[in-house]
Amino acid sequence: MSAISKRPVRPVNLLQPYFWLAPSLVLVVAVSFWPLAYALIQSFYRSNYLDLGTFTGFSNFQRFLFSEAGLLRAWNSFVLTAGTIAIAMPLGFALALLLNLPLRGRNLIRTLLIVPWLVSNTVAALLWAWLLNAQFGPVAEMLSHMGVVMPNVLTSPTWAMAALIVCNAWGSFPLVMVFTLSALQTIPKEIREAARMDGASRWQVFSKVTFPLIRNTTLVTAVLTTLHCFNGVTIVLIMTGGGPLDATDIMALRVFEEGFKLHRMGIASAGAVIIFAINVLFTIAYMRVLKSEHSA
Amino acid sequence: MTTRRKRPGQLTRLETASAYAALAIVLIFALLPVFWGLSTSLKMPLDIHRVPPSWLPPTVTLQNYATAVFDARFVGYLANTIFVVFTSLILSTTLALHAAWATVRFNFTGREGLLLLMWATIMIPGIAVIVPLYTVSVDIGIHDTLWVLIIVYSAWLVPTLVWLLRGFIAAIPAELEEAARIDGCSRIGAFWRVSVPLLKPGLLAAGVLVFVMVWNEFLIGYSLTLSDGNRMIQVGIYYFMTETGVEYGPLTAAALAAIVPIVVLYALLQRAFVQGLTGGAVKG
Repeated sequence: MSAISKRPVRPVNLLQPYFWLAPSLVLVVAVSFWPLAYALIQSFYRSNYLDLGTFTGFSNFQRFLFSEAGLLRAWNSFVLTAGTIAIAMPLGFALALLLNLPLRGRNLIRTLLIVPWLVSNTVAALLWAWLLNAQFGPVAEMLSHMGVVMPNVLTSPTWAMAALIVCNAWGSFPLVMVFTLSALQTIPKEIREAARMDGASRWQVFSKVTFPLIRNTTLVTAVLTTLHCFNGVTIVLIMTGGGPLDATDIMALRVFEEGFKLHRMGIASAGAVIIFAINVLFTIAYMRVLKSEHSA
Repeated sequence: MTTRRKRPGQLTRLETASAYAALAIVLIFALLPVFWGLSTSLKMPLDIHRVPPSWLPPTVTLQNYATAVFDARFVGYLANTIFVVFTSLILSTTLALHAAWATVRFNFTGREGLLLLMWATIMIPGIAVIVPLYTVSVDIGIHDTLWVLIIVYSAWLVPTLVWLLRGFIAAIPAELEEAARIDGCSRIGAFWRVSVPLLKPGLLAAGVLVFVMVWNEFLIGYSLTLSDGNRMIQVGIYYFMTETGVEYGPLTAAALAAIVPIVVLYALLQRAFVQGLTGGAVKG
């Protein structure tokens, strides 16, 4: 180490790291930051397809968010995300705790439970739509044996959102499970056993010893699941297309439709900016929680 | 008191039984859609539309696979996807590998800032930039090519790959590279000759991440291409659903065919898979 670093540094060596980092940075800036900046500008213009068009102030934002349909859309995004979290987080977390127990065959079970994570959103939406098919699907058939007539889930304003939540949660819980399980496995068994020996109940061991040690992981998985669901278009597009009667119209889907079906790029960009802002707020809020955790 | 367990970690029979019961229920939830799709894909057309439906195909047929998967269009989508996967893999891993190495082995002004800048893009979701990306790609004439997909996918993968590979590079002692430099290698030459061969597990995890992300991606593939000849596999499946009225036999066969390569890869490379996915989960 010392023999080398004492050699006189030539200027080319000083520039070397920048040279190797530059291509990555250029690509990232060109494909992520630049389009974001463009969306921010375009969101203030009444665009005509590819032409930037005329400046219209905040009217695109008003039409995207601060209108009756816009507020419904925001509410739907919130319901879909909250519902997905409410299923995927406890389910993934409980599975991690179960699979951390000394059970025979747990590796096989873990392997099988990861499968939904490997399935693309396109295929997941297709498979769930077919599974819940009211005419030819097995779920409707099983319910009919119990005397329940299942409605056509995807065209029922009440049930369509529930179906989307189930499909989203199905694809999301393995991530929570895998992250939580790997965090649990970093905790030495002895710590928990010692607490048990000292007379702590199982619940006390969990709440006082185990959970504080994996809290950060839980937060990370919560953020990942939230943003994945909030920003996701594919499942909603394929299963319901935002219908019936806008009952499942979410903000991310609307950006897609404004942009690629209606070609109102200005409104689409306003939606994109709003979604980005929510992503940033959420990430910052989460980092705050992490920091307060460290200082406490 | 004889029934009392000896060690605190051990489970009673009742606890074991309830744990398995709970796991069984979740296993059914996790595998039911895939099982139902698989069963449908193996059924004769009449059996697919039979009421009441049967869990297993009364007569097993590969007809749906013949229709959907060996269809010239589907083979084209597969070829496109494989081409984009491998080209993105080479481009993004090459860029990220050198960026990761430079930021681990060199101490330079702005290092932390530039890394943060790169990682900040993780907060930019695809849906927030897709419309401008479309506009630009039309403007500069690369819309509806596979190259625009390769560029966008690589750009989105690079920050996560840098993150992933930095961990693996930092685990290799810098002294190894320095020893090679005494033998006359340049710094980058030493990295390639000494460290890169040791990075196989990291590169494997990176490869898995790129493969899964590109293979399963829909939004970009749909928005930035137009013609049938440039469709990726997920986009092709979407068009199968919307174009001809839904025919669930061939459709589930295509869907299963899209799952199989990932599941096979997962079965073969579990460790690298979990490393890649947990590293890659950052970008949704």
